[in-house]
Amino acid sequence: MKFVKSTMAAALLATSALTLPTITQAQELTMAVAAQSAGQLDPHVSTRTEDKVVFAMVFNGLVRFAPGSMSSDAIEPDLAESWETSEDGLVWTFTLRQGVQFHGDYGEMTAEDVVYSLNRAADPDRSSVASDYRAFESVEAVDDYTVRITLSEGIPSLLGVVANYHGGNIVSARAAEELGENFATNPVGTGPFAFGELAEGQFVRLTAHEGYFRGAPQLDAITIRYISETSARDLAFQTGELHMIEGERENRWVENTTSGGEIAVDVFEPGELRTLHVNTTAEPFDDIRVRQALAHAINREELIAFAGDVVARGNEAPVPDGYIGHESDIDFLPYDQDRARELLAEAGYPDGVTVPIAITERASLFGPMQVIQAQLSQVGINLEFEVMEHSAWHAAIRDDVSPLVLYGAARFPVADTYLTQFYHSDSIVNTPTAVTNFSHCSLADEQIVAARSEPNPERQQELWSEAQQLLVTEVCSIPLFELLQVWARAPEVDLGYELEGSLSLGPVITEQTTLSE
Amino acid sequence: MARYIIQRLLSTIPTLFGILTIVFVMIRIAPGDPALAILGDNASQEALNAFRERMGLNDPMIVQYWDFLKGLFSGSLGTSMVTGTPVTESIGEVLPFTLELAFGAIFFGVIIGVPLGIISALWRNGWLDYFFRVVSLLGLSFPAFLTAILLILWLSIEWRIFPVISTPTSGGLWDRIYNLILPALSLGLIMVAYIMRSARSAMLDVLGEDYIRTARAKGAPGRRLIWHHALRNALIPIVTVVGLYFGLLIGNAVLTEIIFNRPGLGKLIVLSLNQRDYTTLQGLMVVSALMIVIVNLLTDICYALVDPRVKLK
Repeated sequence: MKFVKSTMAAALLATSALTLPTITQAQELTMAVAAQSAGQLDPHVSTRTEDKVVFAMVFNGLVRFAPGSMSSDAIEPDLAESWETSEDGLVWTFTLRQGVQFHGDYGEMTAEDVVYSLNRAADPDRSSVASDYRAFESVEAVDDYTVRITLSEGIPSLLGVVANYHGGNIVSARAAEELGENFATNPVGTGPFAFGELAEGQFVRLTAHEGYFRGAPQLDAITIRYISETSARDLAFQTGELHMIEGERENRWVENTTSGGEIAVDVFEPGELRTLHVNTTAEPFDDIRVRQALAHAINREELIAFAGDVVARGNEAPVPDGYIGHESDIDFLPYDQDRARELLAEAGYPDGVTVPIAITERASLFGPMQVIQAQLSQVGINLEFEVMEHSAWHAAIRDDVSPLVLYGAARFPVADTYLTQFYHSDSIVNTPTAVTNFSHCSLADEQIVAARSEPNPERQQELWSEAQQLLVTEVCSIPLFELLQVWARAPEVDLGYELEGSLSLGPVITEQTTLSE
Repeated sequence: MARYIIQRLLSTIPTLFGILTIVFVMIRIAPGDPALAILGDNASQEALNAFRERMGLNDPMIVQYWDFLKGLFSGSLGTSMVTGTPVTESIGEVLPFTLELAFGAIFFGVIIGVPLGIISALWRNGWLDYFFRVVSLLGLSFPAFLTAILLILWLSIEWRIFPVISTPTSGGLWDRIYNLILPALSLGLIMVAYIMRSARSAMLDVLGEDYIRTARAKGAPGRRLIWHHALRNALIPIVTVVGLYFGLLIGNAVLTEIIFNRPGLGKLIVLSLNQRDYTTLQGLMVVSALMIVIVNLLTDICYALVDPRVKLK
């Protein structure tokens, strides 16, 4: 007994002699994203949300969305100092900044690196976003600091595809060639922070790039931790082990986190549009009356209330709010249960219909789908869930196994991207050119293609509006609501800019970000 | 003994081969697409196809299996489909964390469980015995994750003694031990119940033996009687329990590693599974199976060490 007592006492003494190490290195910022690990840290390869956060700090584009904004109006020079375009908009000439240094000993960034990067981004064997560059006819280095891009046809936003997003990120040609596939674990860019270390399943560490062309960063290092459990992130944030965490997109979480008074919760763009895609070729939804019944049976207000009005907002258009080309004045089918029942009866389902569907176990989609299930059951549309692990669900819906697909996405903020990926016939799932057209709709193809190269902005907007109205009228999908991004920030963190939006779906740490004592 | 060990290790080859084949087939027939999981849901179909081609995922399963076996016989577990790093390297990085967690848990399990078991046996049917038995029953019924969360709330949030994120950062020995204590304690508490119960019953058996009565009659002091005469003989069932539940520990380590944000085999298994990183997952299964085999072997060797009557043939 004495032995036990003394052992326990010694253990307690030993542990109580320790103190919890709070973040003492004031200039090292630690943040946590809701993910299990970093993936391939090559901006031309990975389109995963958790990797975009890293890209935004390690790379630059020819132009950039000003920090804290994702509005096309806020595009500003980045690696390019200036640019000019031909009258027909098909030839773009960029003048590069001189003296921009890559991380490590990879030297100065020149036109060769830009040519290499954009050609790499356009090559489907080396890039996941090659289709964004299909109109690129050539990219040439006129001299060391001048790059000329020639297009085969007009595209909605040339500056968009050369901005600091996915394929627009400029990599070091020498590093990419020398490292080959290992570039994905040793990325080399020109951004304010250089890649330091990747611990799979744990963290990515970035270190300050002292030679950054906008000036050396105020912070010495950033550690991005991957913690998928919300409660684990919350607890570590409470104890001061983390400065910033990705939050839950729920009013309740925002209220709980801010209740102490000192914590800042940033709720920012883009809104990920939650849309119920309806397979128009599968029974019973091949009958437009059933699709209309579906649209009449859904109560958006209830869905928004489910998430909370701080983090969610309604949207009836197939293109998210804030994107160039979004049409806010859509004539949509209102919530009307009686009309839904009538339409269902007309379509030959007076006693209702049962539809098996696949749904992910991930709460951000499963929760709203349960609300939808309850709403639809009130008019006689009974959904039978096959709940799947998230990754398996992604594969299954691309195999066309589910006639209804609730999907959430944020894309490059131009209508063309969203309309092409979700509603153009080339993108129909289970085809060789598939992207995410789950509805099999092709009726807006003409407008989508015409708008892409339409030089007149007003006419372009008309075409996009027409496409969106057609998709809603034919009930190819039912746009429901948008969920904004939510991050919590400790009071000592000053981002150095106003965070209103971020295409990387997380706060970007810049050379101006500081940590106060 | 060397011959025995070699024989035992050789006999595990068919087992490992079987496990490997089952895992290879199971993860490939499970729904999900590695290309999509790794490149992201916004990747174009062309990119997804190029990735599958590069990774050999478009080949028939038998061809993939043959390629895998060829690699294995040449001593390679392949490279991770996500990071491109050799699987042995990835496993080598996290394996020490899991081993120290498992041994840390056994340490806590033994230093708490054995004394409690002895006390219970010595005060058989006394209030202390009933109390410890109820506590051990509670321990058995408590899910590992709940214990972990309660420990975090108590020792990390309330008292701020230990970190919530138990990942060593400095690489120093003390930092490593400091970050190990809470997860190891949490996992070790599961062992306490098992060890305590087996220690109690083993002690009761031994204390009823004639030689103990003889030792008592000879006037051996109480402490010597317990520690020297009784406990040594009671150790065999305890060693068995520790060996048997090592597998359980590795299983529960998955949850512990996730809750405490510790690197380790369990966390890597879950990660590889979610990312459909087939090569890493296969490597992990080989290593996990090998670990169980080795622990069973070590358990047998321990029998011989604690009980000279046991001969390994």
